[in-house]
Amino acid sequence: MELKICHLYPDVLNLYGDRGNILCMEQRLKWRGIDVTTTGVSVGEPLKASDFDLFFIGGGQDFEEEVLLPDLAAGKTAELKAAIEDGATFLAICGGYQMLGAYYKTWDGQQCDFTGALDLYTEGSAERMIGNYAFTCEELGVNVVGFENHSGKTYLGSGVKPLGKVLKGYGNNGADGTEGARYKNVFATYSHGCLLPKNPVLCDHILKTALARKYGAVELPPLDDTLEESAHRYMERRLLGEK
Amino acid sequence: MWYNYAMMIRVTLSILACKLCRALLRLLGRGGTDFPGRVALKLCPGVLGVLAKNVTTILVTGTNGKTTTSRMIEQVLADAGISYFANKSGANLLSGVTAEFAMHSTLTGKCKYDYALIEADEAAFKAISKFVDAKVVAVTNVFRDQLDRYGEVSHTLDNIRIGVGNSKNATLCLNADDSLSGSLGREMPNPVLYYGVDTPIYKTRVAELSDAPYCPHCKHAYVYDYVTYGHLGGYRCPHCGSHRPAPQVHVSRVLSSDAQCSRVEFSLDGKTVPAVINLPGGYNIYNAATTMAVAKALDIPPELAAKSLGSFSCGFGRMEKFDIRGTSLRMILIKNPAGCNQVLNFLTDTAEPFVFVACLNDRAQDGKDVSWIWDVDFERLVAMEQLQKIVVSGIRADDMAMRFKYAGMPTDKIEVIRDYGQLVESLIQEGKMVYIMPTYTAMLELRGTISKHYGFKAFWE
Repeated sequence: MELKICHLYPDVLNLYGDRGNILCMEQRLKWRGIDVTTTGVSVGEPLKASDFDLFFIGGGQDFEEEVLLPDLAAGKTAELKAAIEDGATFLAICGGYQMLGAYYKTWDGQQCDFTGALDLYTEGSAERMIGNYAFTCEELGVNVVGFENHSGKTYLGSGVKPLGKVLKGYGNNGADGTEGARYKNVFATYSHGCLLPKNPVLCDHILKTALARKYGAVELPPLDDTLEESAHRYMERRLLGEK
Repeated sequence: MWYNYAMMIRVTLSILACKLCRALLRLLGRGGTDFPGRVALKLCPGVLGVLAKNVTTILVTGTNGKTTTSRMIEQVLADAGISYFANKSGANLLSGVTAEFAMHSTLTGKCKYDYALIEADEAAFKAISKFVDAKVVAVTNVFRDQLDRYGEVSHTLDNIRIGVGNSKNATLCLNADDSLSGSLGREMPNPVLYYGVDTPIYKTRVAELSDAPYCPHCKHAYVYDYVTYGHLGGYRCPHCGSHRPAPQVHVSRVLSSDAQCSRVEFSLDGKTVPAVINLPGGYNIYNAATTMAVAKALDIPPELAAKSLGSFSCGFGRMEKFDIRGTSLRMILIKNPAGCNQVLNFLTDTAEPFVFVACLNDRAQDGKDVSWIWDVDFERLVAMEQLQKIVVSGIRADDMAMRFKYAGMPTDKIEVIRDYGQLVESLIQEGKMVYIMPTYTAMLELRGTISKHYGFKAFWE
């Protein structure tokens, strides 16, 4: 088996250890003898979405996201939308998550149009939502721990579901208790930290989703996750107390 | 008139309270670098302005290298026979700087020294500069750093810009190789001395992310004639033509750089000045260049300044050496990916086998967000033949252990030791080079353990 990962804008959207998520997916595939190749596609480079099984989009700085908008409009948006509708697997984090929505409206009313691939939008706010946080992901029956750092408040439309419910922290907007977004095979979240190494169940689920689309249902052999579980449990306990 | 008296009394009270607090805290065996300043500011919010009034102040700010550069400049001032005081031990916020000025003043607020050498936190610089009218402002560089605390790099640069804007009478010493902080030279009316390095500084470099890949003016990707590290080097924008400014103080040649020191040649004022930099690591060549620029701004002869670079000592977790029972420990503070990658660049160039220790805390001063460890090229470290073993400690030891696992380190070669006493005791049994990389509060705790059990000085001495 082989998985082809596309890392979108790796030189720009790489703010919060996003590379770690790629690394985590690659290693967990390799440790199971599954081949993996990761290709970075950045500004000015053409994207042929049908070449890839899994897309990763990380977070970036505000200035840098300005660099991306014209590049997205020049062709990538259409490719990404088609890939999402076609069932390709996506993991989008923070700025990458916002980018899949319809728009970002700054606190002073300026609107930046994004890809509109998902039914959601983001509004800037004066305060930043920063800190370790946890949410429960019902689909997987696990808690996810991570770190959030965003001033954008994201609101979901009826076309998408939240990825989870906030247990501690802010999540999408600090008000409605939702965190992240789910649509077809898209997983979107504010959680970096970085996300996947500390949440191996989620990582394996995303990998399985991508593999299943290509090869039919697959079972991933278990790995020794002692360190991962220990890091996960430490943060879970720190945020939620003893269970 | 009564107002002046009232103000004077207030200033005196504020200084007195500060001095008493410090004395009391020291009696209790605490550092007290910050709290006395907070007391002083509470009693008299403008006290720093009074204290700094007739003192010639040199301010050093930027993301990485502030402390090391300050120690280098300090040696230059001492060798030049200048009467000065400096804020040591990381008291670099408004409160800490206020405390340092108060401690070096009489009760009437008159400074006992002619010069003040002040390291300023890049976010606190804009507050400090409201009260301190610096003669020289040196900016080391701007890198992404503790995003939960400083925000994005553009935000850090904005803060420094405000601070420089407050420093109307300062000569700016700016890093020509840094497109971010170097851009202040074009924007500000102040006289500018650019410093830079004309050649690569490492034999091989780890894989690094650039914090400034795109030109802020026209949003096109920069082209580099050479890279020293990170986003530093000979950059130019092929679209709008903006480029690295020509430095007045530059390192024209790096003759050698080993585990003990670097030998370089500076070019300035139409002559070549050789120097030995008494601290290893290519990034310290930049700190030395900043120092040479500050010396030039103060009209100190470059030959004298170059000599000081060979005799300064830094300590406080900057390549700090502890030799305990035949084991050599070197402590190197880590804060962000750029700084950490430079330490790895340095280790790549060393020959001896070593044990690598990482102590990761996530308190406010360390940065609460530890995601940056995934941006460091630890894959390169794990691949080094000299690496014998990895030990992890600190509040987030588990995250650190996991990082090394995903970098390819076999888990049986990653040891987790949470207790610092046990950690140090175990490390000194190693009998080989040990490099300890702690985050800020981990460094304070580790130094505390080492000074308590093995008789090294406390950090404020």
